[in-house]
Amino acid sequence: MEKKLERIKRSIWVFHLNTGSCNACDIEILDALTPYHDAERFGVKLVGSPRHADVLLLTGPITLESLPKVINAIEATPRPRFIIALGSCGSGGGIWHDTYSTIGGVNSLVKILKERGVEVDGVYYVPGCPIRPEALLYAVALIRGLVEKKAKSMVATVE
Amino acid sequence: MSFVKKIIKPVEVLVVASKTGRVTIKYPFEEPWISPEFRGKIEIDPTKCIGCGACVNACPPNALEMIESEDKKTLRYFVGRCIFCWRCIDVCPVGAIKGTRNFELATNDPLDLYDYIVHNRVKCRECGKVTGETTRMLKYVLEKAFVTENYNNKCPDCRKKIFINAISMRRTGPVGEKT
Amino acid sequence: MEGEKLILDKYIELSRDMGGKASIEGDTVHIIVPSEKLVEAASKLFNEYQCDFRVCVGTDERPLNGYFTITHIFTDNRNGLYVLLKTYIEPQDPKVPSITNAVPGADWCEMEARDLLGIEFTGRTPYRLVLPPEWPKGLHPLRKDVPYNYRPQIRGVSEKVSTTTETGVIPIGPYHPALHEPEYFELYVEGEKVVDVKYRGFHVHRGIEKLGETRMTYQQVNFLAERICGICGFEHSSCYALAVEKAAKLDVPERAQFIRSIVLEVERIHSHLLWLGVAFHVLGYDTGFMHVWRIRERVMYLAELLTGSRKTYGINLIGGVRRDINEEKKQKTLEVLRELEKEYKGLIEVALSVPQVRKRASGTGVLPREDALKLSVEGPTARASGIDKDARRDLPYAAYKYASFRVPVYTEGDNLARLLVRVDELVESMAIIEQLLDKIPKGPILLEKYEIPEGRVGVQVVEAPRGGDVHFVITGHGKPYRWRVRAPTYSNIPALRVMLRDQPLADAPLTIASIDPCFSCTDRVLIVRENGRREWLRLTGGLKI
Repeated sequence: MEKKLERIKRSIWVFHLNTGSCNACDIEILDALTPYHDAERFGVKLVGSPRHADVLLLTGPITLESLPKVINAIEATPRPRFIIALGSCGSGGGIWHDTYSTIGGVNSLVKILKERGVEVDGVYYVPGCPIRPEALLYAVALIRGLVEKKAKSMVATVE
Repeated sequence: MSFVKKIIKPVEVLVVASKTGRVTIKYPFEEPWISPEFRGKIEIDPTKCIGCGACVNACPPNALEMIESEDKKTLRYFVGRCIFCWRCIDVCPVGAIKGTRNFELATNDPLDLYDYIVHNRVKCRECGKVTGETTRMLKYVLEKAFVTENYNNKCPDCRKKIFINAISMRRTGPVGEKT
Repeated sequence: MEGEKLILDKYIELSRDMGGKASIEGDTVHIIVPSEKLVEAASKLFNEYQCDFRVCVGTDERPLNGYFTITHIFTDNRNGLYVLLKTYIEPQDPKVPSITNAVPGADWCEMEARDLLGIEFTGRTPYRLVLPPEWPKGLHPLRKDVPYNYRPQIRGVSEKVSTTTETGVIPIGPYHPALHEPEYFELYVEGEKVVDVKYRGFHVHRGIEKLGETRMTYQQVNFLAERICGICGFEHSSCYALAVEKAAKLDVPERAQFIRSIVLEVERIHSHLLWLGVAFHVLGYDTGFMHVWRIRERVMYLAELLTGSRKTYGINLIGGVRRDINEEKKQKTLEVLRELEKEYKGLIEVALSVPQVRKRASGTGVLPREDALKLSVEGPTARASGIDKDARRDLPYAAYKYASFRVPVYTEGDNLARLLVRVDELVESMAIIEQLLDKIPKGPILLEKYEIPEGRVGVQVVEAPRGGDVHFVITGHGKPYRWRVRAPTYSNIPALRVMLRDQPLADAPLTIASIDPCFSCTDRVLIVRENGRREWLRLTGGLKI
């Protein structure tokens, strides 16, 4: 894992995979590439084909209609491949986590991928609704080891 | 003249660009441009939370869930599903939930996305059955509302029993006197 | 007053002629007709009374009265009236005559009702619209007896590209660098010329309407409505809130209505700037893209300052709003607007003088006025084709009656006209915000106590950046009984077929972008052919082109 990470430490090329999101995250991804945020500082480049990508930016709760196409796109990505699940839909299914036409976030997707023998080398979760462009930059910086991870689970027991 | 102007006009973008200069904010190496109103991750204060579940009812995406077990009631906050609407802050009766401007929540471990607050459940004084309430909630209710000693700390079944007993006592009392 | 009475009498007379009955509630005329008279009544409303067709709503009213119903929503824009044409359908074999021959714009919504409720439409060719191809037959998710979280075990298949030999087929999507949303277009070309278009959408069907009718409460649906679309979400949540408030006859504080209007205009500015950027990018003028998005960032900051989030603002509730605009925020807003206006005007003047922008946009993707009228297109797409309609002026809601503004209309109907409509609208929006901030009254921003009676109907049209959003609500116990959403792109996509026809392929991306398609709005609900049979998607129904 560590070794594989090393390889994409140079420049991360991302493919944007919208799996049924509301567009807010997608527009923030574009926003991250525009002058104020300029994600290309980190070598991030939005590419047109999953075959050129290291990382898939997955937005949306994965609808039944898009599922087969999403699997095709993931299969087409060369190893090592990473998924960054963006927004509350991507990382947890969001507000429609249990409706009839979605599968509810990246965790269910990874399960389905395992069943079909498609491997993913790592999943990053970026909560936010929608994600700020800075949250995406933070995730990219986290993958490249420029910042410390701040997220931590809290377990508190009341007397 | 106007022909020349027409040719020159598109090049004026250079003037716009040089006037603006560089606008890029060097986040994460400097502070991000966030307004003071931004709604970020919520923090639940475990010393204040009473486990009443008001936030669970209000939460649109079910990011706050109450998981009930034999003798524990656990409030689970899943930030991965949170839509940051802060409705829970509006409805919390004790002000235990605080909003922050934290958006740096990215992680590679899904377990980092969960917060838990584990509450104890009250046992019924009469029959020993576990009731729905948490210890904190009972304390809160006793402070806020007048509840007779008779009824608190009892499960709904026992409460009903006491109530019926009390009523039938009152009914049969005078009736008994008459006959 | 007299005139108004006459107009209402006209509708009552119509319903009497059709053997139905009419009732009037506020600005809404409810007409109930027997199903055999439905086509005649719809055609009369559309052609003779010049009402604007918005959408049709199928409802499972079996738990209430034992019938399925279908309601066609029209608006009388000149008189500011909503006209609802309703008919009851027998539950055993739900069949109703289709109105697509009279009203071509009803094509999609009828198929949607067929997919989601199982209502059959006679007198037209049916096809699968919303649900995936493998979805089990006979399972209609919007029926009340189907649980909202029932997920059928289906194996997804990826659709194959057409194998026709007569024309070349160019598939675009569902994942394509030019599209930011999963949508699938098949362009049929002869040489360089596009001869036909097929659209397979509804990849973003997330089951929102069902969710709003089951798991959620009245207040929670506001946040769900906002997530129908990430770009024009506030329009959706305002539209929902206004529809419920209208149904329950709530008296919402004026200040809340002003704040809603101000935030709606902020959203319009950011959405139009976003579209301008994307249009410049498609036209190959990336410099313009970067600069437009740079000045847009200020608007995003402003939105965050006023509401607490850059998008999906989350400040709407039934009965008002959650965040107030204080003096400090007001000054900051005016300051941002002043700077924005200066920068925007300078930049747009430069951008429009760039030769490739004008040359590539003018004369391409023409939508003639007659087709636009027949298809009931919405928003800037309609206004660029010479149809003067804007819900902010025609059916005033929130605080728009206190602002004066111009509705830009162009008659060319090409891509440049659609671009210029948006350019002009931006300036108007800035003026509206300034006016409203000036006039904002003092008072509370949220109605504390209210009651929502059951079984009431509320319809609202809100002018989103892309056109009119329609929300239809039947109130229920603690949550809406039926909630129907119609986004503007839903009416605009069928017009693409007219625009793309006989155009060079190279202009197709620009034309598709020119309606500012927002698929996530459109796809809440579900186009697919049955039995894998390939069939021309009859995008324009009975329209002859």
